[in-house]
Amino acid sequence: MNTHHLPLLSAKAVPGTQPGAARRKPAGKVPAWALKLGTLFTTLSIFAGSFGYATTHLYATNAPLQPATIAAADSTSVASTGTPSTSGSTSTSSTATTTLTSSVRTTTQTAVTTTRHS
Amino acid sequence: MDLFFWELARASGLATYAALCIAVLTGLAPRTQVLGFLAQNRAIRALHDWTPWIIIPAAITHVVALLLDATAQISLLDVVVPFQTSYGQLAIGLGTISLDLLVIVLVTTWMRRSMSNGAWQLFHRLSYVGFVAMFLHAVLSGTDLASPAISVMTWATALAIAYYSLERAGKGLGMVKARA
Repeated sequence: MNTHHLPLLSAKAVPGTQPGAARRKPAGKVPAWALKLGTLFTTLSIFAGSFGYATTHLYATNAPLQPATIAAADSTSVASTGTPSTSGSTSTSSTATTTLTSSVRTTTQTAVTTTRHS
Repeated sequence: MDLFFWELARASGLATYAALCIAVLTGLAPRTQVLGFLAQNRAIRALHDWTPWIIIPAAITHVVALLLDATAQISLLDVVVPFQTSYGQLAIGLGTISLDLLVIVLVTTWMRRSMSNGAWQLFHRLSYVGFVAMFLHAVLSGTDLASPAISVMTWATALAIAYYSLERAGKGLGMVKARA
């Protein structure tokens, strides 16, 4: 088809077009209200998804920021898993939130000082 | 209850980031035709003008949740004045800067009719700085960016915005040269 035979259309001839608009891709037809609704839905979905992810991944060990209280809690847990003192005295951790007491009890029985082989 | 505020802060932070990405992209769209496949410029512009109604509640939720969360140790002063926190000063301070710039951009937009167009444009271009500050805040302090999926989405949107920002800047320079 030879386009030279077609009549030239000015911008005014076709409503809604501007000079140079023929070179552009045709714009989408989504109305503003639908864009707003889509944006709201997208943001709420991201919020809900992130909330669900945060609920299931409460503690991220590789998180870039570790507030001081978390570090203190970590040191407390380390202290509580350490070897307890057998002296019978009460030992406290550095934050004084956990108290460890010895489970070794004194006895009135005679001390065993020999073994079967000795 | 403290864990609820912590989860709320994380989720609202990512929602704020998403809303800001949409705001910046719709602001770039009329010149770059980045959303030309979706709608006409008038509809995109209407969406851009509407995005504060999502950004403001999301940002307020993020800030209030962090204020109420005992672990985060954020005070009211930290919300306004950057680099005052006892830990992560740079990471959290960048969030404070982005919040301050967001307030400036929004307030000057609402006061647009009472200032010159040049002054308004100057203030409005601070939104690029604010977005960069928010992105760095997300990367440096975002707990959920440890997740590969969330990290990829965050970086992808930031790179897309950077690309179209450069394209728009190039077109702007071209227009200036053409006028000269």
